[in-house]
Amino acid sequence: MIKIDFEKKTFLRDVLGGYMQELGRQDEKVVVVNADLMGTCRNRSFVASYPERSFNVGIAEQNMISFAAGLAHEGFKPYAFSMAPFISMRGLEQCRTDVAYAGLDVRLMATYAGVSGGISGATHWSLEDCGIMCSIPNMTVVETCDEVQAKKLLEKSLDYSGPIYIRSSVEPVIGIYDDSYDYEIGRADTIMAGDDGAFICAGVTVKYAVQAAKNIFQKHGKKIRVVDMHTIKPIDRQAIRTAAATGAVVAVHDHNVMGGLGTQVGQVLAEEGIGVRFANIGLKDHFEPMAHASYLYHKFSLDAEGLEQAMLGLLK
Amino acid sequence: MQRIERPQTVEELKKAALEVRKNLLKLCSLQTIHIGGDLSVADVMTVLWQYQMNYDPQDPNWEKRDRFVLSKGHASAVTSFNQAAIGCFSAEDVWNEYATDEGRFSMHSCNLVNPYVEVSTGSLGHGFPVACGMAAGLRLKGNNTSRVYVVMGDGEQSEGSIWEAAMYAVQQKLGNLVAIVDFNGLEADGSLEEITALGDIAEKYRAFGWNVCEFDGHDIANIKGYFDNLPPVDSEQPTVFICHTIKGKGVDFMENQARWHAGKITEEQYAAAVVDLESKFAQEGAQG
Repeated sequence: MIKIDFEKKTFLRDVLGGYMQELGRQDEKVVVVNADLMGTCRNRSFVASYPERSFNVGIAEQNMISFAAGLAHEGFKPYAFSMAPFISMRGLEQCRTDVAYAGLDVRLMATYAGVSGGISGATHWSLEDCGIMCSIPNMTVVETCDEVQAKKLLEKSLDYSGPIYIRSSVEPVIGIYDDSYDYEIGRADTIMAGDDGAFICAGVTVKYAVQAAKNIFQKHGKKIRVVDMHTIKPIDRQAIRTAAATGAVVAVHDHNVMGGLGTQVGQVLAEEGIGVRFANIGLKDHFEPMAHASYLYHKFSLDAEGLEQAMLGLLK
Repeated sequence: MQRIERPQTVEELKKAALEVRKNLLKLCSLQTIHIGGDLSVADVMTVLWQYQMNYDPQDPNWEKRDRFVLSKGHASAVTSFNQAAIGCFSAEDVWNEYATDEGRFSMHSCNLVNPYVEVSTGSLGHGFPVACGMAAGLRLKGNNTSRVYVVMGDGEQSEGSIWEAAMYAVQQKLGNLVAIVDFNGLEADGSLEEITALGDIAEKYRAFGWNVCEFDGHDIANIKGYFDNLPPVDSEQPTVFICHTIKGKGVDFMENQARWHAGKITEEQYAAAVVDLESKFAQEGAQG
């Protein structure tokens, strides 16, 4: 199930956008809606194969989401693609009122998660989307960390009831899973076993957590669990309890520390009455000037080095 | 529930519109409703629901039904009384359940409790783009007989999403879509002219590529005529009706008063308003 491959370099938008063609082949109810980022979201193969099931509303994200809701009302399975900030903020009320309130099977395909938009700057970052989307009733929120998972997620999305916000980075990811991986929305996956501490991560930060766990074992002999919390809502509470049993939890997310994965994990820890050493690593609740994502991950301790320090800080 | 005979003639529709107004006023004596905009769109809604739409009250999910989206979601009461008139439920149900904790009817239409609400609405600028998606979905399914009707307010035209959808409906050649603008000239805070004037709204839609019909939204014969002469469902140009109406139409003290955007009336006001409505109806009848 687990096959960590640091050499593999995958761009998730290529996978998610490109795999829509296969999804469209499997299910004729699948329709794709874009807002003038069809190329950016890598949907050209779907559009070429299924032009009649492709809609491009132009630069009009509110219309994109409402229009997708209308298609879902008529029984279609719309996948609406854009950058995470434009779906989660420009089209927010449409996501909430037209999609979630109606309980429609619309898939909100949000690339440019966190600061992965890098030098595009804060307008193209989504520091808030996870918090926003988690607060919407009915909304499932997922994030994917590798190619195999991304494809299996799309397969599962075909028959999943209710709206899903699917968050993904434009930074490259590594190989984590092999083809035997049994992905379930709502069930976290343990990538590395360990009882000395636990990273809880999702998306692009998974590769850094895995590297940090390996480094800590090599340097200190401590075995750190790495939990891929790919479903941020509904969150896997048992996986959090198990991680907390190690005594030290570092949650890391390419998102503002407010409302991101760390907030969701912290809420579960508090509700469960679990006392545990805990760190919430993410963007520090302010706006940054544009910079490359790798620079920002390092600056805010989301990279392997930063996570190693954060975990060692808790283990002292 | 028995299948109800629907009004067919202009005279029958006028009578039906009178009943809708009386039902609205009774509700308004019990609860705060958006009476001004209910009354302005009452004639168009009566013709649409009781005459024009292909709709089976026994089966709100019937695939071949015409779809209805109330983009001006606050006109829920006038929708409900028209639906009551064709047998979806009774007017008593609306009076009894409106704004009650487990009721099917409230200030804005909610699909969670009322299956006759196709799309839950309330926040403005949403229903129109959703209706466009539904119209595109019907086309994609090969349903070339159902239309999508969407009713908007004039103040609602200030929402940017309206114009996003207006552009795209033309691009998608949604001739199965009929948009209706209840142009009563007033929004919650006052007149459109004082707030954000629409200018020549018909010309705006025409410039966007729509088939535009502009008419008196209280002239039942006229309204019926425009519905009768809609382009074929499989045509390629969406149609918009710009209906010039009077907010609070039919009740003297409410007409053209922004303060009657929403409100509640006393028993005495209700009794006087019904007398007023009946006498106007009788006078019109006498004039032929």
